[in-house]
Amino acid sequence: MSETTLEPAFPFGPLSTEEGAAHIRALLADRPMSRMTMPLGGDVWIIHRHAAARSVLSDPRFVREPFRTGERTVPYYVPFPPFLLSTIQFEDPPQHTRLRKLVQKGLSPRRVKAMRDSAVTFANSLIDDMVARGGPVDLVQSYSLPLPIQMLSDLLGVPSSDRDRFERWSSAFLSVSGKSPEEAGADIGELGAYMAGLIAERRADPQDDLLSALANARDKDDTLTDAEILPIAFVLIIGGFDNTANFISTGTAALLRSDEQRARLLADIDGLTATTAEEVLRIGRFAMGMPVKGGVSLVPWVATEDVEIDGQLVRAGEAVAVDPASINQDPEAIEDPTAFDIGRKDNPHLTLSYGLHHCVGAPLARMELQVGIAELFRRLPTLRLAGEPTFNFEHISQPMTSLLVDW
Amino acid sequence: MSKVFYTLPDGSERVVEAAAGDSVMQTAVKHGVTGIVGQCGGVLSCATCHVFLDEAELGDYPEPSEDEDDMLDCAATEREDNSRLSCQLAVVEGRDVHVTIPAEQL
Repeated sequence: MSETTLEPAFPFGPLSTEEGAAHIRALLADRPMSRMTMPLGGDVWIIHRHAAARSVLSDPRFVREPFRTGERTVPYYVPFPPFLLSTIQFEDPPQHTRLRKLVQKGLSPRRVKAMRDSAVTFANSLIDDMVARGGPVDLVQSYSLPLPIQMLSDLLGVPSSDRDRFERWSSAFLSVSGKSPEEAGADIGELGAYMAGLIAERRADPQDDLLSALANARDKDDTLTDAEILPIAFVLIIGGFDNTANFISTGTAALLRSDEQRARLLADIDGLTATTAEEVLRIGRFAMGMPVKGGVSLVPWVATEDVEIDGQLVRAGEAVAVDPASINQDPEAIEDPTAFDIGRKDNPHLTLSYGLHHCVGAPLARMELQVGIAELFRRLPTLRLAGEPTFNFEHISQPMTSLLVDW
Repeated sequence: MSKVFYTLPDGSERVVEAAAGDSVMQTAVKHGVTGIVGQCGGVLSCATCHVFLDEAELGDYPEPSEDEDDMLDCAATEREDNSRLSCQLAVVEGRDVHVTIPAEQL
């Protein structure tokens, strides 16, 4: 039986927001997961239900090794380039545990908290520039992208004098770069060489930044090699630029679409920033009044033995992935799931995943999203849309490519 | 059966029946207790299940491992002497647990 004969269908869309939410509700009621044949890599089970997803994400019987070694092609829409397969995302314990332990302290909630003031300062300087130019302004280019790029450069410890080059090379990773694979490949090569040089400098002369921490990491007798550090830096860039920029753009668009939620935020920015950020992460894509599609999942795993998940048998060797869009609207886990409620107190969304591989940059992403939204609406409370947001629907992450605003 | 008493940042209390062997974090997540996130699922990888354990009960549990100790330094709310990561506190049959949830986890 192929997925196209199952009702409700998965993948689905594009549908209106309301139709999409209704479709997801029916899907969740019908089955815990759908089997999809991807354009590359064959079949994969895509999990829609929250409890089932959480159980897989914290179950050591699901591994990434067959993808890392190239034994299996990742079942997905686009190929995973070899450099990506060498990142921590595709390691399993014990190597994963080792790498993760050495990097997570550098990105911890506490560490990120110490960066908050500089994020606020930088966000305000971006807004100063916008105000000086006058609207309408494309928020994606003027705000959503520069903020995470700056914060990550700061965190890593890229010298100011090298920022322009660093951003140019790193933009090759961006979905909005518009570069050909050859151009992107050249940029990635130059970035790799630059980072290797910087890591060597930091090993010899440590500063108070993440590259220094990675270059000099010690765990008992354990250290990280350059070959291990570089993929970590790459995965931070890949996760830290595009995705975070998209969250900021999505959150702003969702708030601009909802007069009610925007008014709530404006009345108590400091009190509501944290819960607003979580709600944007959970359902921001469904709160922009844009068409929605179902079919995107997070990176898959391979089952090492037969596992029954919510009544569905997943056999050893089969691939499994989670579908955050459905999971985040599961009424079993979220009350009144289709409501975009910026004051929501219990918000166990899985946008930043869960378990071993949960987003290592989550504290940083959260802080940037909070600061990005809070400062923007604090400074420009009359912010409004000055045109329809545009998206790149060809790209896997469907990023917002422009968000024209005025105030 | 054992009970876990969660004092929330606003001073209110939630009391939950806990299964022996579950961690204080798992118990919170299962029962939807606000303020304990546990993003990593209990593998000492996130510091978002931070709690302040009742001082009288500190001796009921083994000292934090080096890994837990390292992660406690990473918590969003600054650690105190009675700070623990609740994924490391296993519920024991017949013994109640009292914890206070810090203002911030993320």
